[in-house]
Amino acid sequence: MEFKHRQLDNGLTIIGEVNDAAQSAAVGFFVKTGSRDESPEISGVSHFLEHMMFKGTEKLSPLEVNEAFDRLGAKFNAFTSEENTVYYAAVLPEYLEDVAALWMQLMRATLRDDDFNLEKNVILEEIAMYKDLPQFDVMDQGRALHFGSHCCGNSVLGTNESITDMSADQMRNYFSSRYAPNNMVLACCGNFNFDRLCTLAEKHCGVWETMDSPRPLSEFEGTFKKKHVQNDNLVRQHLCLLSPTVSMQDPRRYAASLLGMMLGDETGSRYYWALVDPALADIAVMQCESMDGAGVFYSYICCGPDKVSSVLETIDAMHTDIQTNGVTQAELETARNKVLSAMTLKCEQPMGRLVSLGFNWTYNHHYQTVQQEVDQIKTVTLDDVSRLIEQLNPSRYTLMSLGPQQL
Amino acid sequence: MSTLDQYTLKNGMVLLGERLDHVQSVSFHFLLPAGAAMLPAGCCGASAVISDWLFRGAGNRNSRQLIEALDGLGIHRHTSVSANHLNISASLEAGNLSVALDLFADILLRPQLEAEQFELSRQLAVSELEGLDDDPRQKVMIHLAEQFYPEPYGRSALGKADELAALTPETVQQLVKQTFHPSQTIFSICGNYDFDAVCRQMEQLFSVDDPYQPPVIEPVFQGKPYTHYPTQGAQVHIGLMTTVPPISADCYYELMAAVSVLSGSMSSRLFTEVREKRGLCYAVGARYRTLKDFAGISCYAGTTPEKAQETLDVTLEQFNTLKDGITADEMQRAKVGLKTSLIMQGESTSARSGGIAGDFFLLNRVRELDEIRDKIESLSIANVEGVLQANPFENYTVVTIGPTDITL
Repeated sequence: MEFKHRQLDNGLTIIGEVNDAAQSAAVGFFVKTGSRDESPEISGVSHFLEHMMFKGTEKLSPLEVNEAFDRLGAKFNAFTSEENTVYYAAVLPEYLEDVAALWMQLMRATLRDDDFNLEKNVILEEIAMYKDLPQFDVMDQGRALHFGSHCCGNSVLGTNESITDMSADQMRNYFSSRYAPNNMVLACCGNFNFDRLCTLAEKHCGVWETMDSPRPLSEFEGTFKKKHVQNDNLVRQHLCLLSPTVSMQDPRRYAASLLGMMLGDETGSRYYWALVDPALADIAVMQCESMDGAGVFYSYICCGPDKVSSVLETIDAMHTDIQTNGVTQAELETARNKVLSAMTLKCEQPMGRLVSLGFNWTYNHHYQTVQQEVDQIKTVTLDDVSRLIEQLNPSRYTLMSLGPQQL
Repeated sequence: MSTLDQYTLKNGMVLLGERLDHVQSVSFHFLLPAGAAMLPAGCCGASAVISDWLFRGAGNRNSRQLIEALDGLGIHRHTSVSANHLNISASLEAGNLSVALDLFADILLRPQLEAEQFELSRQLAVSELEGLDDDPRQKVMIHLAEQFYPEPYGRSALGKADELAALTPETVQQLVKQTFHPSQTIFSICGNYDFDAVCRQMEQLFSVDDPYQPPVIEPVFQGKPYTHYPTQGAQVHIGLMTTVPPISADCYYELMAAVSVLSGSMSSRLFTEVREKRGLCYAVGARYRTLKDFAGISCYAGTTPEKAQETLDVTLEQFNTLKDGITADEMQRAKVGLKTSLIMQGESTSARSGGIAGDFFLLNRVRELDEIRDKIESLSIANVEGVLQANPFENYTVVTIGPTDITL
């Protein structure tokens, strides 16, 4: 495994982790933009733009783009979050440069009016689809409630109104301010030639103009509000709990992710023993999401409407217990082993490794080998976790509830 | 690169493996003959209860000790139920394999199955079944399988509310006894392991004498072409399925190419015609689903009510016109897409371990990745078109969930 790094004159960063033994290669553009970078009137534009980037260039129609990816057998897609838009493809090594060149061209997509108007329908269908998935809906509404007026609460999808009213010009303006080369990272993993990738990038991306793409960061804890939305069409109660955690820039993030696993992993966690094992809830999971200058522990709980108050009492008792007694060394070791084995499995495939490679650079301008990440997890102590519990106080949380039962 | 391993224990249990030298992990699968179709009528949903109950104590470990032992090794485990099998799998760091096999032998051969834990497992199964009403996308595909496959092969592993309610600890203990047969279990492993050591350990752990009476199953076709379930949701969720030959048929690779042209990726016909040209859907896609003797191409599309009829019409048109011809470019894209998926599956110990076990059950042998690659490379347009004409998509089973129904 060999790490490579280069920066073009216009600021585009190119990073690679070369593994000659791999059977495939993965490449991706990591654009530092998402719903937190949107104003209310263009809510959902980052995600809509992600769809539009597949619609081609002066030389390529939308259909030709899809055909070009498929001719290379690419497993390709993109995703948008509150703060990142990522375009990726995994291919056999012989197609890596072709698929990278295709992405490089698409990063300067034409954004035609006709395609914009047609794709609007697809976005509206996607919004409707998530409305029928309460587990997503409750998280979306929970995030908005927790962050209040802070930009991290902005919806990734936007609303029917914001999408319907959006113009192609508004999208083009947003694009030109956010897709600057100095706001993007090109990352590649697996079996490929780094120098040839850089030559391609110089040819296709070297002319992109450097721009100022600021993202102001502000500290934010959360509103700690409680809200219920009555929905008698639902059979189960869907709950989302949110509380602050440390940011991606914070060295305590490894301890925080272990704490999230101890409290809310799918099996063997505090949630598991307090809620799932006694069948109070059928799903109870927590995730630690460290973000740019902020962070949030998300919990999703699905239970019977008659169990809501027992579930919430149990969670409060769990918080009191960890606040008073902390967690045990055995819990820490278990969480550590789970995280380490998950990393081993994920990093065996170039596509699995690509995302952590790209994000590490996006947030911290820093490369870490898998071994260095392993070491960071291994050095977390029980004291680190105890201090974090004290500092973060997870017993204070925002609560969003969706379902047939009033709180 | 890799070699296939195979060994049969004295009692008939088959061990299959593929070693990958460059990885640090290992994954294994147990396929037990305890799938939803293998249970007696009236016990639907018992598989869901069993999947949870098994992990609530085994050997001399109680529920908490067992979960702590598994989690302490960082084992990622997964349980699923198909028509034929209860499928229990694990992925872990290779150094922990031997301890993990000891634990899984306890779980499969010496589960405690205590009555007080049963009620909790049952309640979780009931919750999961109720939760299906809040997930119409999954629900429509479950109802589709129920109506497409002959009974009992289409049974939902989640069961029915009344049948779950009627289960007792004793009946389910008896079902475990009837269906958990090491001699009929397929074990597969992929990754970094020593096959001789695995065989020695498995012989010690699983060599129990094991007479087996396979259940007699007489499949009964359902024959319901269309069912609509009215709900108040935002979208109409459409599931449809049509019969094609199963994986053991000679034309399997031609069918895979055809499905790839129909829905393999973003330049496929369904995605292009339904989403890209008309903007009817966000999610639309078809795939090949096979049991040993029955197979179909299933398709899902979700759309707002006013677009539901057009979505169905355009989707069916794509199915129906596939036999009229495919282009050289489509064929090339299908081949490279299938080949890439194959090689990437070979890079994942978990996917490959599952593939090995599945092959052995469905085909009575394991295909080398090279064999599959050769078959894909030798595909021709004429053969794919010939197979489509010889096996036309004639009858569709359709299920919808949502505020409006549609007309077939």
